[in-house]
Amino acid sequence: MQYNPGWNNSSVNLLHVRAVGPSDTLHYIWSSIGAPAVLLVATESRTSSLGINWTQLLSSAPAGYSEAQTLEELFYPTYDLSDFSWDSVNHTLNHTALMAEFTGTPAADPSGSFSNGSLAFRVTAYEASGRDRPLPSLLHTANSSKVEFVLAGVAPRGNSSQFVLEVATVEETGVVQKLRSARSIDDEYTPTIFEVSHWGGRPSMSGFLQWKATAYGSQTPRREDNIQCRSRGLQAANWTLPVSSVVRAYFGEGVGSTYTVSAINISFGGEDGKVYQEKRYLSWSALLGFGQPPKDTFSPLVISIMAVALGTPMGMLLVGSCLVLLAQRKRYSEYEPIN
Amino acid sequence: VAAMAEEERALLGPAGGDDDGGGGSLGSPRALPAVCDPRRLPHRLLVLTLMCFLGFGSCFCYDNPAALQTQVQRDMKVNTAQFMALYAWYSWPNVVLCFFGGFLIDRVFGIRLGTVIFSIFVCVGQVIFALGALLNTFWLMDMGRFIFGIGGESLAVAQNTYAVSWFKGKELNLVFGLQLSMARIGSTVNMNIMGWIYSRVRDLLGYTGPSTLGLTLMIGGLTCLFSLACALILAYLDKRAEKLLCKEQGKTGEVIKLTDVKDFSLSLWLIFVICVCYYAAVFPFIGLGKVFFIEKFKFSSQEASAINSIVYIISVPMSPVFGLLVDKLGKNIIWVLCAVVTTLASHVMLAFTFWNPWIAMCLLGVAYSLLACALWPMVAFVVPEHQLGTAYGFMQSIQNLGLAIIAIAAGMILDTRGYLFLEVFFSACVC
Repeated sequence: MQYNPGWNNSSVNLLHVRAVGPSDTLHYIWSSIGAPAVLLVATESRTSSLGINWTQLLSSAPAGYSEAQTLEELFYPTYDLSDFSWDSVNHTLNHTALMAEFTGTPAADPSGSFSNGSLAFRVTAYEASGRDRPLPSLLHTANSSKVEFVLAGVAPRGNSSQFVLEVATVEETGVVQKLRSARSIDDEYTPTIFEVSHWGGRPSMSGFLQWKATAYGSQTPRREDNIQCRSRGLQAANWTLPVSSVVRAYFGEGVGSTYTVSAINISFGGEDGKVYQEKRYLSWSALLGFGQPPKDTFSPLVISIMAVALGTPMGMLLVGSCLVLLAQRKRYSEYEPIN
Repeated sequence: VAAMAEEERALLGPAGGDDDGGGGSLGSPRALPAVCDPRRLPHRLLVLTLMCFLGFGSCFCYDNPAALQTQVQRDMKVNTAQFMALYAWYSWPNVVLCFFGGFLIDRVFGIRLGTVIFSIFVCVGQVIFALGALLNTFWLMDMGRFIFGIGGESLAVAQNTYAVSWFKGKELNLVFGLQLSMARIGSTVNMNIMGWIYSRVRDLLGYTGPSTLGLTLMIGGLTCLFSLACALILAYLDKRAEKLLCKEQGKTGEVIKLTDVKDFSLSLWLIFVICVCYYAAVFPFIGLGKVFFIEKFKFSSQEASAINSIVYIISVPMSPVFGLLVDKLGKNIIWVLCAVVTTLASHVMLAFTFWNPWIAMCLLGVAYSLLACALWPMVAFVVPEHQLGTAYGFMQSIQNLGLAIIAIAAGMILDTRGYLFLEVFFSACVC
């Protein structure tokens, strides 16, 4: 994890996370220069390094993946995240937990919504596979990173308005983007949330974004703080994206023509979406990675309970019926001599 | 749970209360209009209606929390374990009170005063419950449920005693059946209407919050007042009938001796275990079910209420049918086994598949009615008659204890482990 590698100025934020595998390397380059974006690059060598001259980024790159984000409230003019001013990431860096936080407020805020609040992207990288402690307890691998979108203290502009986050990806053409929402029967790790969404390209050797259909209205999320979260409409976005320097620098000016841009909207809040209005806090987590997204499985505890609880009566029934059958046999054999 | 007490008596009422109550004397020469003459059918029908509505209020309000789960949790800012404590607080007093309900009615208050007193308890409990919401103090809500619980279960006993004293003989089973159905209808109406009332109150006030919840619960409390009115009218009519017909006040005739407990056989204890585990897998699930159907099956709030109440709706017509069936065919153990297996199947279906939950819930409803009809009479087979009162009292007490504990446990499991785990836990209970 490196901050602004090769640059001695903390007025701009660029965070480089490297995940080295046995035969390849994944680079995550998080940046808030322009619109906040992450560049995910997979390279096929162990020793690939990031060379930055702040205009040209990387040498060998079979696939690239990036996102850029905009925030809006329904029916209100959107907040363009490239117009935000971002605090320096340097002091939020935590090298043991591999965490960093990009916090920003709009450069111009006429409505005063952000006077007491801020918007942040909290980035976590992982050293090993595992599962987060706090909800939504996403399963992660060492190759993936978590991005958490946090909205704290921002005043909504309407009485029952909802926040919508627009996430866009830039991919080489030929990769088919797909948004899949799977309903799972397993809500053990994220109680009462049964829906998992994956957004990724096909063929599978491309980046993915995976999240549970919930956001939480508290810093220490509990089940009852859950805020409904819906993702809508994967579109091939032809409109101009907020300018993100990292994306520009990597993909060049071909964004939109030689590369496909697709975007989805993620809205927070349901039918009675008053949770945010009360708590003034919203956090939504997603896992960003490369290749196959991790899949939840039943925990050993559930399996063992099932085995014991279902197995014991089944066994008893079997043994019981065997005994009854045997007893009947015996009775018959006793009768036989009389015949 | 109030319904369960009735169930027990409904299924075994005649055995428990036939040998008392005093025969009405037939010497009343004065001619009265049909509606006013306690011996004529129209008057008895009037009394029957009042009796049925007597238990309506408490059954309606018993399941108020289930009907408003999301609202309660959001407005009062409580977790699911705390929410389920509302049910637990209802059960605590009944762990003890099951033994004394009959005694209080027979020896202390008498049926008429007893009914009125229990109705008042129910009303006061519901009002305190609603007040707790209005004042945004959750412990007050717990206390309200506690007081409500004191009245609720005993009221069911009183209701059955009334039925015995007025309808002894051939009509009794039908009357018990009707009372039971009325209780179920109370629960069903509650499940389907409370959410609607809440949204109307919200529209009226313009915001959601504890006061919205409190007002909604107050409105729900009107049914309790209505039941109290029924209790008062019934007391008057009963008094009048006593004067006219020189009949005695009705009695439960329940004799409970706690020392009998040590004589209970192993099979009776097994029946207790089945009872606790089975009911624990049905009632707490219904209490928590609404959110489950909304989140897992994408039901709207209305649909979720409807499917949550289907178990009660099915048991209204099925209970008498199964009652007859079990009476005719015997072999209660086989029926209990069938019911348990069916329940298990429906829980497994809900936990591991996305099949239409209506199938599973209907199965659960059928299984529940079947078990109720087969299990309660089984006690009579394994217990000598003089211990029957104690056995039933004890069974209800244990059941209340089990429900209280498992309700809280279920809430905690849901908060930390989710519904899949909860369903697995319930399946384990059923096994």
